Amino acid sequence: MKKPIASLFLTLGSFSAAAVAPSSPVVAGRDAVRAMTLANGMKVIVWPVHNIPSVALYNWVRAGSRNEAPGITGLAHFFEHMMFNGTTRREAGEFDRLMEAQGGSNNAFTSDDVTVYQDWFPRAALDLVFDLESDRVANLAFVPKVIESERGVVYSERRLRVEDNGQGLLAEQVQAAAFVAHPYHFPTIGWPSDIQSWRIEDLQKFFRTYYAPNNLTLVLAGDLVPEQVFALARRYFEPIPRQAPAEPVRTREPEQIGERVVVVRRQAQTPLIQYAYKAPAAADPRGPAVSLLMSILVDGDASRLHRLLVEQKKVAIEVSGHWQEGFDPGLFWLYLTLPEDADPSAVREVLDAELAAVADKGVTEAELRRAKNLAVSGFWKKLATIDGKAQLLGEYEVFQGDWLKMFAAPAQLENVTREQVRQIAHEILDRRRRTVGVLVPAQEDEVEAVSRRAAGA
Amino acid sequence: MIPRLFLKVAALTSMVTPMGAGAVAAERVADGVHVPAHERIVLSNGITLIIVPDPDVPLVAFNVVLRGGELGDPAGKPGVASLVAGLLEKGAGSRNAFQFADAVEGVGGSFSAGAGPEAITIRGQFLARDQPLLLELLADALLRPHFDDSELGKLRARQIELIKAAKDSDPSELIGTYGRAFLFHEHPYGRPVIGDESSLARITREDVLGYYRGQLGADRLTLVFAGDVDAALLKRSVSRLFSRWPKAAQSAPRLAAPARATHRRVLLIDSPGSVQSYFWIGNVGVDRRYRDRAALDLVNTLYGGRFTSILNSELRIKSGLSYGARSGFTRGTVAGEFAIRSFAQTENTGRAIDLALQTLSGLKRDGVSAPMLDSARAYVLGQYPLEFETAADWAVALGELELYHLGLDYIDHYGSELNRVTLGEAQRVIEQAFPGPDAMAIVLIGDAARIRAQVRAYGPITELELTAPTFTAPRTLQREGS
Repeated sequence: MKKPIASLFLTLGSFSAAAVAPSSPVVAGRDAVRAMTLANGMKVIVWPVHNIPSVALYNWVRAGSRNEAPGITGLAHFFEHMMFNGTTRREAGEFDRLMEAQGGSNNAFTSDDVTVYQDWFPRAALDLVFDLESDRVANLAFVPKVIESERGVVYSERRLRVEDNGQGLLAEQVQAAAFVAHPYHFPTIGWPSDIQSWRIEDLQKFFRTYYAPNNLTLVLAGDLVPEQVFALARRYFEPIPRQAPAEPVRTREPEQIGERVVVVRRQAQTPLIQYAYKAPAAADPRGPAVSLLMSILVDGDASRLHRLLVEQKKVAIEVSGHWQEGFDPGLFWLYLTLPEDADPSAVREVLDAELAAVADKGVTEAELRRAKNLAVSGFWKKLATIDGKAQLLGEYEVFQGDWLKMFAAPAQLENVTREQVRQIAHEILDRRRRTVGVLVPAQEDEVEAVSRRAAGA
Repeated sequence: MIPRLFLKVAALTSMVTPMGAGAVAAERVADGVHVPAHERIVLSNGITLIIVPDPDVPLVAFNVVLRGGELGDPAGKPGVASLVAGLLEKGAGSRNAFQFADAVEGVGGSFSAGAGPEAITIRGQFLARDQPLLLELLADALLRPHFDDSELGKLRARQIELIKAAKDSDPSELIGTYGRAFLFHEHPYGRPVIGDESSLARITREDVLGYYRGQLGADRLTLVFAGDVDAALLKRSVSRLFSRWPKAAQSAPRLAAPARATHRRVLLIDSPGSVQSYFWIGNVGVDRRYRDRAALDLVNTLYGGRFTSILNSELRIKSGLSYGARSGFTRGTVAGEFAIRSFAQTENTGRAIDLALQTLSGLKRDGVSAPMLDSARAYVLGQYPLEFETAADWAVALGELELYHLGLDYIDHYGSELNRVTLGEAQRVIEQAFPGPDAMAIVLIGDAARIRAQVRAYGPITELELTAPTFTAPRTLQREGS
């Protein structure tokens, strides 16, 4: 559930600098990467890089809110928390204590499609990290007291990201309205009543199915010797038995045949608008064109929508966007934050006219050039770190089916034509296939009445 | 995507990010990280130029530091430095704002200016082949900015609206700004770098020009370039383009050390309907040159700087009260704040704050053990190299050393300092640098009607509406609770 993080204050915006596309789209390192598949079906990919004495590890689990059902929404994300809460060999908290004591840190994230576990550690901690990572896949414990405590943590996270967050609240409603059949309907954090009521049996079943080695892909980049990594993988992960593959997600979202509009009334000062268009899946061959279209619309001060809405018409204070690249066709999101006194319907007219122009006439050569340069520069900037290398290899392996494709990414971007961008814009920016969300600032008394009802008063 | 940890500890308005923690675990990482070979040149007009060659990728990262920042804001008008920074790229030299953005983004470059409490910085990366363009854009932005009135009006209006939007969608992001205003009062560290809705509306083009002429000039400027640099071109061009830039017209602002608060008090910011309370508990800490900084980093790592910290263990791991709790020191030229940040469901606000204060009492009373110290040492050493992986990282780090007048030893000796920290030093840090729980400023954003009674015991309460156009309550309207 990626949400628009309004980059708050313009003058203090992110300093993270994009770099630039070298004219030659050759990506070094391809020959250094090694991959192997264990007998139980788990794939291990290693990129040795020796500039710093450290390692980045990504463990990709093919399980996200896409694999949930009513009653257990939010379960994939809950696992992201539970995986740190003890095994039959180690108590809750040991995972973090041992890793930190050898200089490692970790994090994890969950999306509609995957759950990913990340570790960053000094090379000397490699053996320990394999021990810890395999232990929690092989021997996860389900302690009722720990589960109840973690429920509270997740609910706190939901309040932070959704209930006390205008953009998050609106995005959850828009996504639920955009998908009526496909499980992308479910919010990754889970519906409140499910967070409060899923049972230990639900957890055990989900874990058995999705945390099987044949459903995992392990990617490491850093100060490593591939053969040593493979030896550790054989020792620690190969004994974990393979499981029957998870049931595929069979439901396909039926064609949307008319615009849907969602209105959220909430106490706020600034109105919000979100557009969510139906868009291709990550592996669609038109993917590079979709990414470039998004960049042309919203990336940077020179982008089409920022310049028009924020700088020229001054009807928005922030414009951003995001293509949800998943296993199944997802959404092409646009997020607008409006000034306090703005009329959302008037802003929508301006936005609609511009998007219609892009869908009809396409984009200019200069816009495409700029987007390509920014995209390739973003790619190089990611490749500058071991973390970025591990992440990109994993993304290509999991979502494009082959890590090798990562090395062709700059060339693929470079080959996209204006006509291809016009075609994909024409297909995606179709009003009949979009869901519109509007957050309307409401009065305090109205909001309080709703809170009282929610509290059962 | 939903990450496991809530890592946004540093508020947008915090000081230039404190130099991170750590150096390395076993093996060759044990003595930490060392500054790569580089050139440092001081021009006759006072400009410092630093060049770090690193041809790994065909990129050049830059970090421009202009000493002064928000300290140079005129009295009663916070936000001027921030607007000046934002306007540097909104038209300069022969380019208007759109042409400037087209020039940067058209070659896939980045160019981002912002203000902090003690400096305006411009950072970004360009392809190595575009170094001449980068230098031209930098010289235009610094020496020939337009400060066009319509661009100022647009930026000012937008900044005001962005503050309102942040209050709607991410109140926790602003709590540090409220906290510093409440803790530091009139001291410059208390002023909101971004300005507030009320002050921004009063800022004129004369204020912007006054700041530019008075506070910006060659004597305030450090330029750092790192990456696949053309050192000869950089030296030649910087000398040609910048050598006639005069010094700033006014003297550099001076900072007095703030006094530590001696009594506990509460600022309650009312956000009706909020289902969670976001809190910040702070007092004055220590400065950038603090002698025991290695011990300080180890103790803070243990107290609130990593996942298994004392604070996160109590508020998240053991009680499930919160998604996360962290602590940190902001260390500037003078002492900034030590602050604890967390949040909890409205009903549990008092319980969570009680727990946070108890952990601080516990730290002051019990100290830390030798095994704890060893674990923190391994952690900080192990994470340190990850912070200096790219040329862009070094551009930022070397600019920061200049800003705070720190030598290279600040980085080069950090590893060995960490290795030498003793329990006695850790104890000294806990006594000196960590403020006690009884004199903290406690700031909350939440539903006042439902949490007022829970926080009354902590001290006198000042109240403020979240929608109020300032980050402080007007003095005359302060309501002292009991």
